[in-house]
Amino acid sequence: MPFPNVRLSNRPLHFIYLCDCSGSMAAQGKMQALNQAIRQSLPGMAEVARENPEARVLVRALRFADRAEWHLEQPTPVDHLQWRDLEAGGITAMGEALERLAGVLQSPPMEERALPPVLVLISDGQPTDDFETGLATLMRQPWAQKAVRLAIALGHDADLEVLQQFIGPEPPGGGRSPRRPLQASNATSLAQYIQWASTAVVGAASMPASQVQGATSGGNIPLPDLPPTVLDPTDDVGPLVW
Amino acid sequence: MTPAWLAPRACSVIGAAHRRQGKPCQDASLSAELSGRNGEALQLLAVADGHGSSRSWLSDRGSALACREAERAVVEALQRTPLGDTTTWRHLLREGLPATIQARWQAAIADDWRHQPQNADPLEPVTYGCTLGLVLLAPQWWGCTGLGDWDLVAVHRTGDAALISQEESLGARAAAEATASLCLPQAAGLCARRAQLQPLAAHPQLRALVLSTDGVRKSCASDADFLALCSQVIDLDDPQQLEHGLEQITRQGSGDDVSLAIGRRAQPAAGGRWPRRAGLALSLGSGTVALATALVAGSRLLQRPAPRPDPVLQQQQALCADPSRIRANLTPRRAQLLQLQRDPTLGQRLLAAPERDPLGALLARSQRSPLRACPPLEQHLATLWRDAGGKMPAAPPRPDERPPAGSRPAAPGSR
Repeated sequence: MPFPNVRLSNRPLHFIYLCDCSGSMAAQGKMQALNQAIRQSLPGMAEVARENPEARVLVRALRFADRAEWHLEQPTPVDHLQWRDLEAGGITAMGEALERLAGVLQSPPMEERALPPVLVLISDGQPTDDFETGLATLMRQPWAQKAVRLAIALGHDADLEVLQQFIGPEPPGGGRSPRRPLQASNATSLAQYIQWASTAVVGAASMPASQVQGATSGGNIPLPDLPPTVLDPTDDVGPLVW
Repeated sequence: MTPAWLAPRACSVIGAAHRRQGKPCQDASLSAELSGRNGEALQLLAVADGHGSSRSWLSDRGSALACREAERAVVEALQRTPLGDTTTWRHLLREGLPATIQARWQAAIADDWRHQPQNADPLEPVTYGCTLGLVLLAPQWWGCTGLGDWDLVAVHRTGDAALISQEESLGARAAAEATASLCLPQAAGLCARRAQLQPLAAHPQLRALVLSTDGVRKSCASDADFLALCSQVIDLDDPQQLEHGLEQITRQGSGDDVSLAIGRRAQPAAGGRWPRRAGLALSLGSGTVALATALVAGSRLLQRPAPRPDPVLQQQQALCADPSRIRANLTPRRAQLLQLQRDPTLGQRLLAAPERDPLGALLARSQRSPLRACPPLEQHLATLWRDAGGKMPAAPPRPDERPPAGSRPAAPGSR
């Protein structure tokens, strides 16, 4: 008798960018740098996806300015992804973006067997709408609780406090940590962080180890070390471009 | 008298991702046929899943020790408690066995830690953290206990399958991929939630129970596929097919380690017609006799504990008494074989304390000298050593064997 022929499936890994497209992103080439960083990261992300066939990496992107809307709505396999440039203009409806995100992190449409999603919030400013309500709506979703939540702050005007709220409790002690907002002060460091999130983090999230019940101090999955940056994010001196 | 259950089986296979990353299999499983006072037969199925994170870097050993200590705890309970005393067994499943297993596991990992190079550091139980699921199959009832993200499926005579035990949601605040663990201080108490004892008389339609680690369910496209898998896998007669099927499951599915343990009820010989699976028991008749002999010998050893037997020889005899366990037990040790190839001191350590890891010590012994074990064991070991790029020393011919003239001595089973 042959082995049962049932449908087997690798596990979907949803990777979602939440991109600030407010007017300030047009200044100093930030939007251009973000588009370029994401586009350049795709080959590496596709390579990591190929190396981890047990995970099916699916990318989406949500933009927020005056309103929040899907820039890339369909979960798209990374090797099929053609990045279309984001454009800047408007205010910062970050709270609405989190509410829109909450809608897709419900089960369904989230698959029972999905891996913890990776959510990357990128912003250069402060929310202009009700961020607290948006975050509360998001965090009511179990998949949001289980997600790997990262935040990248562009320049010195970014609201680090709200980005930290999105990530979750700040880890004790000082120093660099992926569980603090990653501060990108120029196009190079932004590209490094995007590359890290789309490769190292995706690799770690593709095959997460079991965690002991109640032990949440290490986050949802153990995150890889941050990349060395041209400018240490904890260092407040240096050539701050943005 | 018709036995209530056919021979159980269990198999663990290293996950495709772990194999690629050079990590060991962190799952362990076993199936055993135990004999109590008055010859009462009790079968045991166990699966354990090591957490595998960097904090749980010895969880492959933790899961193996969990299965070993679970079997020992059940053997002890069986010597004390008649299977007809369901009140006591229900209590044992809820409290007694979990407490004993946890205490024994803690002692076992402490002992193992003493032999680790880092033993100057205090032992953190999470280093060995794992889940554990147990199913007991008695002539009149079945029961289960344990903790963690294992699944238990009942397959009915109609072919329907139903999930009858799974880990309850740990809540939205729980970390991703979080599970209860034997390393938690409250582990024994957590087992009570999963404990149950069911009289067979109340479930005449029950045909089989399938116990699995989470890697199996997560590899299936849906729960319907998982249940279909469970309902069909019980009809596999060839243990090798089960192993190959599990390899396919992890390769095309979650990439995680996968374990299955199966207990099947014997069907009554209604109308004088034996069901298909009963044929398996008959075809293993000689093995069953050998196993019964070993169990009798084992019970004698229990009555007269001194002198201490050789754990490696005991392990060898147990595997040879039930050859269906050979592949299931040896396959997850491929990584250890490779380590033995690379690190000569590992073999010395294993042989210095064979009671800590009898199977590991058996592998180490097989690397150094002929075992003179039963042919299936020798053949499987030879295959494993060959796959690992090494060679097991050839056993000298037995007195009743003579190699063909001119033939070269070869490792047993070598092709």
